[in-house]
Amino acid sequence: MNANTLTERYVHEVVRRIPTDQRDDVAEELRAVIADTAEARGASEHEVLTEMGDPIRLAARYADRPLALIGPGLYPAYARTLKVLLAGVLPVVVAVSMAVEVLDGGGVGSAIGSGIGALLAVGAQMIAWLTAVFAVVERSRSLDRLFRGTEGWTPDDLPDAPQTEKAAGAGTLASAAFSTLLLALIVWQHVAEPYRTDGDHMPVLDPALWSGWIWPILAGLAGTVLCELVRVAVRRWTVPLAAAYAAAEALFAASLIWVLHKQAFFNPDFLATVNDGKGWTVPDELYTGTILVVLAVGVTEVIGCFRETRKTRG
Amino acid sequence: MVLGMSPEELIRAQAQELRRGTVVLACLALLEEPQYGYALLETLNDAGVSVDGNTLYPLLRRLEKQELLTSEWNTDESRPRKFYRVSPEGSRVRAGLVGEWHDLVASISRLTEEKP
Repeated sequence: MNANTLTERYVHEVVRRIPTDQRDDVAEELRAVIADTAEARGASEHEVLTEMGDPIRLAARYADRPLALIGPGLYPAYARTLKVLLAGVLPVVVAVSMAVEVLDGGGVGSAIGSGIGALLAVGAQMIAWLTAVFAVVERSRSLDRLFRGTEGWTPDDLPDAPQTEKAAGAGTLASAAFSTLLLALIVWQHVAEPYRTDGDHMPVLDPALWSGWIWPILAGLAGTVLCELVRVAVRRWTVPLAAAYAAAEALFAASLIWVLHKQAFFNPDFLATVNDGKGWTVPDELYTGTILVVLAVGVTEVIGCFRETRKTRG
Repeated sequence: MVLGMSPEELIRAQAQELRRGTVVLACLALLEEPQYGYALLETLNDAGVSVDGNTLYPLLRRLEKQELLTSEWNTDESRPRKFYRVSPEGSRVRAGLVGEWHDLVASISRLTEEKP
């Protein structure tokens, strides 16, 4: 028999995916079925094979194997475990790795670097290994049975209900208060020039900002405060409100990140007096780290708002 | 429910779901006489139990593995074909399924009777 006909190629693709002891028998039957179908319908080999469909799918049916990496039986346990690992264990690992870096005498920048490294490396490992283990369990009947026996869902597994309206409102209020404080601090340090050295007063932040980038930062900050106050008043995040909040947060974060990136944040005179004779300069890592924190906080806040719009619409 | 489906399409989709469960019973009923894969597929489709080859052929092997069917290669014809027939165990299962079928028909008739 010509080994390179469409039929032979198709049969090979199917049988190499099923247990060895069934291969010859299934191959022989498939050949007969394909030939019978082509003969009875006057159809070409190509048409018949198209109708038989993807060999991977057919092989899975012969081997009675799932066509999903993690099937519906195991998915809830998988999702729950993944959540515990990523939301519960990973932050601890990251915090510990950052603490170790600090104790080792590394600066803030290298601690943040080590934290991000741990976040990516350990996070990826957690996802990969958990997925691999569940995929193996899915494919192994005896393991599967063992797992299902112990993994029954009970009402005790239910997570706590989302915070009550009042408590969630308190969180937003606290956030608004913090932003207002930040706003006041920025203005105060400029107007009152609180930093003194040898009778000299000077602002901490670069005065040049006041003819430029401080305005979008302040406007963004004020915008988020306004949105948060409206949120407290109407007792829920609506989609337009969350969108307005996102725009204000984006304005604030983008301007601040730009200023940090340009390292035009601190008053050069202030830095000079702080550095005077100490040979200390603000490390680049501190700027980079701060930028990442600003970005992370902003994204988290905005996602939180949009998630709440969904929850409250129920 | 999938958006944009006409009532006819919905009926067809649901009817397919209804018929899917009847394939095993139909196979056990038809295979009183030995039959090979493609011929069985044609007989089933002619009888209104529509099933695709890529579903039927693996199903036959599964029923064989469960010892509801037995099989034998017939090499008398131009090409060797695997003939399946129902086993004594398969006959018992068929009888049970036929009973279930009649119960189901009776219940659904009661449920869908025109209310006076």
